[in-house]
Amino acid sequence: MIRLENMLPRAFLVGITKMVDMAGPLETISWMRSIGEELAQIEGPGFEGARMDSDIVYLPICPFGNEIVEFSEMYDESPPQFEAIINTMSKLKRESDTPWEYPAMSHVLDVLQHSYNQKRAELAGTRYHNLGSKSPLGDIRHYNEEAIERSGLTKKDVTEILDKAFFVYVIEHPEKE
Amino acid sequence: MNLIEAERLYENSVRILKMNQHENGGFYASPPGTRYPFIYPRDHSICIYGAVEAGLMNEARKGLEFMLNSQKPMGEFSQRYDVDGNDASYKELQIDGNGLVLFVLGKYFKATGGSFYEEMADKLFISKYWEIIEKAVQFILMNKNEEVNLIHTINSIHEYPAYEHGFEIYANCACCAGIYAAVDMGKALGKDVSGWEEQADIIKKAILTRLYSPRRRSFVKCIRVKDKNSKPIGYDPFASLVHDIDAVEYAPAYFELISDYDIKVMSTSRRIHQELWDKEIGGLNRYPEYWGRNNGGYGPWCHFTCQLANHHTETNNQDMAELYLDWVVDMAHEYTLPEHISTIERFELWLEDYTNGKILRDSKVKLIEDIRAHPKWEDGLAYVTIPLIWPHAEFIISYKKYRDKFHPA
Repeated sequence: MIRLENMLPRAFLVGITKMVDMAGPLETISWMRSIGEELAQIEGPGFEGARMDSDIVYLPICPFGNEIVEFSEMYDESPPQFEAIINTMSKLKRESDTPWEYPAMSHVLDVLQHSYNQKRAELAGTRYHNLGSKSPLGDIRHYNEEAIERSGLTKKDVTEILDKAFFVYVIEHPEKE
Repeated sequence: MNLIEAERLYENSVRILKMNQHENGGFYASPPGTRYPFIYPRDHSICIYGAVEAGLMNEARKGLEFMLNSQKPMGEFSQRYDVDGNDASYKELQIDGNGLVLFVLGKYFKATGGSFYEEMADKLFISKYWEIIEKAVQFILMNKNEEVNLIHTINSIHEYPAYEHGFEIYANCACCAGIYAAVDMGKALGKDVSGWEEQADIIKKAILTRLYSPRRRSFVKCIRVKDKNSKPIGYDPFASLVHDIDAVEYAPAYFELISDYDIKVMSTSRRIHQELWDKEIGGLNRYPEYWGRNNGGYGPWCHFTCQLANHHTETNNQDMAELYLDWVVDMAHEYTLPEHISTIERFELWLEDYTNGKILRDSKVKLIEDIRAHPKWEDGLAYVTIPLIWPHAEFIISYKKYRDKFHPA
């Protein structure tokens, strides 16, 4: 049900599809990243989520999970513009020299979320890598193999954390390298 | 009262406070390897307050430095931080943190001056952090609703939005007292803080009228309102009043906005005792059992019991002050205090409720193991999260107050 009061999250998701139509997926990705980074500047340094004894952070609940599910119910299936963003992100990651910096994409909003998280980590003098994610639309898991390798964890470790979480991250401390 | 045991608990509380301060200045909520190895501004502020009362001025100063350096860009102090001062919160706004930091900064400032406040108080420290103080006050005022003149929050002391989302009493009293502390510090530095003072007076008046129910003769918990800018708030989807009893309805006196002898405080404290004193095991519960969020089982909390002991000390009621403080002393296990205490029966009831409702988080597994493994389990009691540092700080404050009043050296 759409009411004026709760329109904004849906408007943003529809806005992403319109933005892809107008400017293409690459521009849309840049646009979302710039939003995430600006919000991170306002919020300041930090790492949102539950922290394990190590530098592993995980999100037990999915940010925007409810909005994502409701939006998918409205459209029956993912809009093609979302697929275009996910495919473009995959291409960018494949062609990158630093593939570990990319999100383990389970939804287009991961672009926004990851840029926000990474910027906040950068403000804290660290780096933040997304090791894995789980879709709120079903138990579909995505991994960033390069980030996992860099973290010293195994895919099995990440899978075990994903059993109780939607996103798994590692904080990397440049001064320890 | 068993003064020897009380003194031992006091001494160990001071020791625990010192042992649980990270070298960067943050006081852990509970020691590393336990349930809360982070720095929560709420707990941390009370630890600073406890340190000031115990004369640990270097520790208090270091704790303040840690906190003030961790302020977020908008002026907010977050729900929790890691030991490096990075925001590690996972919850929405808890604005009482802003009020508490300012309130205990004021306590530190006054204590550094003592009887020679004007000459001796640590003005250099306050000057150094003045910009941060300004931002902290501005953040509070940014969350003030102009229709009711109260501060809006999502979470407060119980981190329970179902009963705290809106204009909540603890958050409002902490923030109001925090602004007054900033006003005092500003005046000492020769700043023009008349605008803040006016705002603090307005908020205080709103607390004493809108958050007090003359017919119930009690402060009330919260005017539930979803959005701080709802206008008019009567149309807000949450618009309702939480008038259930809560130990923090004592907050107007705890934060020194009004005297403990004020009839509003006297009658509220009586209501708190009548409705929250645990009939089975003593001590003060924090809110009614039917709120249904009783991790580890419903039961009394050491730090709320200490807070209300202050009221009885302040009003010269030694018997009641001793009833409260004696209970805390009796419940200490090897001179350490838990977050709260329950019974095995209530623990099992909570476990059943949460298991059947499928709302038992994975993170509670360790809590359950620890409760069952604690020696007090054999006595039929569930000790939840021990030690928690906050009740030790609160005991330092309340016991010192009691001792100074009834057993002066």
